Amino acid sequence: MNTIQHLSTEAPSVLGGHRLLKSSSCSYFVTTAHGFLLARRMLSGISQPEKYRRILVNSYNRKQSNSSNTTVKTSTKLPSVDHLTPSDAPSVSNAEGREDAASSSQWKERKDDGVDVRAGFSSGKDKKPALLTDSFEYFAFLRRLKRTAEKLLSSFPLAIAELAIIGALCAVGTLIEQGQSREFYLQKYSEDWAFGLFNGEWVLNLCLDHVYTAPYFLGLLALLAASLIACTSSRQIPLVKIARRWRFVNSGASISKLDFHETLPHARLADLAVLLAGDKYQVFMRGPSLYAFKGLAGRFAPIGVHAALLLIMGGATYSAIGGYHGTIMVPQGLNFMVGEAMYPAGFLSQPPDSFDTEVHINKFTIETYPNGEVSQFRTDLSLFNLRGQEVSRKVISVNDPLRYGGFTMYQTDWGISTIQIHVDGEGPFNLVAAPLQTGDNKLFGTFLPIGDNGLAGAKGISMLARDLQSVVIYDSNGAFAGVRRSGSEKPITVDGVTIIIDDIIGSTGLEMKLDPGVPIVYAGFAALMLTTVLSYLCHLQVWALQVDDSLVVGAKSNRNRAEFAEDLGKLLNFVPEIVRDRSMENIAPIISSTNEELSMQGTSAKMDNESSRS
Amino acid sequence: MIYLYVEQIFVYISFLILFLVTLLNLINFFFEIDKINHFSNNGMKFAFLCTTGFLTTRFFQTQHLPLGNLYESLMFLSWGFSFLYLISNVKNKKRLSAPVLATSALLVHAFAVLSLPHKMRESMSLVPALQSQWLMMHVSTTLISYATLLFGSLLAIVLLSIFHGEIKRYCVGNLTNNFEFRNKNYPLISKNFPKQIITESFSYSLFLNSRKCQLIHLLDKWTYQAISLGFSFLTIGIISGAVWANEAWGSYWSWDPKETWALITWLIYAIYLHIRINKKWMGKGSTMAASMGFFLVWICFLGVNLLGVGLHNYDWLI
Repeated sequence: MNTIQHLSTEAPSVLGGHRLLKSSSCSYFVTTAHGFLLARRMLSGISQPEKYRRILVNSYNRKQSNSSNTTVKTSTKLPSVDHLTPSDAPSVSNAEGREDAASSSQWKERKDDGVDVRAGFSSGKDKKPALLTDSFEYFAFLRRLKRTAEKLLSSFPLAIAELAIIGALCAVGTLIEQGQSREFYLQKYSEDWAFGLFNGEWVLNLCLDHVYTAPYFLGLLALLAASLIACTSSRQIPLVKIARRWRFVNSGASISKLDFHETLPHARLADLAVLLAGDKYQVFMRGPSLYAFKGLAGRFAPIGVHAALLLIMGGATYSAIGGYHGTIMVPQGLNFMVGEAMYPAGFLSQPPDSFDTEVHINKFTIETYPNGEVSQFRTDLSLFNLRGQEVSRKVISVNDPLRYGGFTMYQTDWGISTIQIHVDGEGPFNLVAAPLQTGDNKLFGTFLPIGDNGLAGAKGISMLARDLQSVVIYDSNGAFAGVRRSGSEKPITVDGVTIIIDDIIGSTGLEMKLDPGVPIVYAGFAALMLTTVLSYLCHLQVWALQVDDSLVVGAKSNRNRAEFAEDLGKLLNFVPEIVRDRSMENIAPIISSTNEELSMQGTSAKMDNESSRS
Repeated sequence: MIYLYVEQIFVYISFLILFLVTLLNLINFFFEIDKINHFSNNGMKFAFLCTTGFLTTRFFQTQHLPLGNLYESLMFLSWGFSFLYLISNVKNKKRLSAPVLATSALLVHAFAVLSLPHKMRESMSLVPALQSQWLMMHVSTTLISYATLLFGSLLAIVLLSIFHGEIKRYCVGNLTNNFEFRNKNYPLISKNFPKQIITESFSYSLFLNSRKCQLIHLLDKWTYQAISLGFSFLTIGIISGAVWANEAWGSYWSWDPKETWALITWLIYAIYLHIRINKKWMGKGSTMAASMGFFLVWICFLGVNLLGVGLHNYDWLI
């Protein structure tokens, strides 16, 4: 019984958050969500004057077109979205507004007091506000602009169309190879595909060679972001506000308008409250009416999804315009300055001090499995600052980068820079190796000239290497001469020259990145993962009213209505039916039969029906 | 060598059993014999254990999760389907999803066993780029998401093809159960009758309509649940792939074909989930979106490797 709150007859505050905070079994998430909205409310207290003036102006405008009753209604309503009534706002709130106006005067008075306190600027609700200044009209114009924009951008077909077109453009980008040279497209699409309508020229003109950075693609992404913002602010947040505002219902008629409703004869509100509390609802009771809800996170999570997507897009934009990127292939034993290898990505790039670091490659190795396949590339790096002190040293490998001073260094590529040999006992000589084949199967070659035929007719010994372990040697005529492992010190005589392969010196391909948007994007990722999972929670609301001897129950959920109906039905089966013995009125009622028994007849009949059908 | 024999035993036994289970399920679907139900459930459990045995053997052999090449991925997908079969067996008493799942598991398994060349079936050591803890999380969540999304999309295709013109009338949004009839005055009326029919007439000749309505309702519900679960997994899979790419190569999104197609799949299922909320388009529109998702998942999983470009191409289909 702990979670049932018997509310005092204070006027409910706009948010009601503090009352929910008192509940003993309030989940942490609900607490923080309410706390967040409370804080936002307090922070936005600065802009309250405009807000209430806007409401008063709206009420004045409506008064011009409607009867004066509407004014009363809008002013007794707590501040909410002025024009957009979300499609599934419960009719309960409207009904209650009208009901409250006609119900106990005590209640009405309190609400009127609330309005007067809040609208301290005007002298009354029926008069045109005296504070209609130019700045106010400017604000009104802005607000109207904002509302039109919101209405346009949050339209549902537009959102679906955006998603679909972005998807289609992404697909086009995978079908047409991206980022190649102009001649490539002219040559590849030279024959007239599609009866001359589509050829290489079209590809280039429509920017299909770089779809993902094309202006229309980026524009679509920006439009999607705008739609997300508009949808969140104009549809979802008001829904949350309305859903959060628990309203006690005072008439059975409004409950009957809900999707799910039922009348339980001879039932007590307290029993229902206990059952709901046992089913993890947050239950609130006031007088004869009850309000319970469950799964409030299911209301916030869709907003969270949109917010996470916006975070990701914002972070990606920041990365694209404010980062640094560079690739470099460094032979083992050499140095380079970080700042020289980095290129800015956009106009917001700020080079940090760590770009003055010198990187020295101590050693580059390739590890292999027993069957000869490559298992890992490792580079031993040392970083020196401008004074020559070593500030960092690490052995990086493919999935293990070096992070220093804001930039990160990744091992992405490799090559062979030189082959070191002894020729006829003299040496060592470094022969620079050239890449003959790049990509996955690399091939490097070098050439040792023999004789004095000059550059044009140079003849010599060719050496080819696929990895850092062995060299294949060919003589001056191109015939295969032999294979030597580096470091084996086994000489080979080719064309009268004795060669010992000392070493194959590799070069490491490093990629460096400075990406300021990564923390934002990671935060967006985490939020997206969490909120996607959370948004499958249903937000369930139950209203109940004790009308004489029977109980009118109504419920509403924002997803998965059918299953919710079944579950609620099963719960309602357990509400005991109280049969009062008239002769013993003063004694506690005897519970003689429960609704469960009665509905068991119904369910058993239903089970018969089902089994006969299945 | 012993590993090879054990693996082959597991694979062929599970293939046979999946074949039998699929046959039994299809027969059961039309003729509804209880014993077949019993046999097919136990058979599926056994096939699930055999496939798990194959995967664990590979794990012991290579010391990493068996997700390195196409063969292992397909076996993992088939394992995912049989796992879904066992889960849906627990919850769904109407056995709608059983033929679909059993057939999918069998077909994927058959493709892996029968059509891939022997060379591709060997376990291979991982290239340096794959030697990471992220391998387990990214590839496994993505494959599980493929399995669930394929299941959901298949159900949507079933729904669309059978009830082509009538989804709108019976769609879930209109099925609001009217509690008033659960009163004790009408104990015999099932509460699953849709509201329109109750208000029109109480004639029992509408019994058949109600069964169709229930079938549509159930298919829709299962599509939604499967796709929503798969969508969460796909989100986690894509994001873990992006984070892994950032840790390994410094860029969390490089418009690689496989990444892009995974994003397109994500978009189509986001469209599905959104259409489902709209009262005007729900029913037919959402089913069509889910059906298209079926083809997109296959393109994403297999079609991209045929193109042969990008980070995900490890020469799988030579």
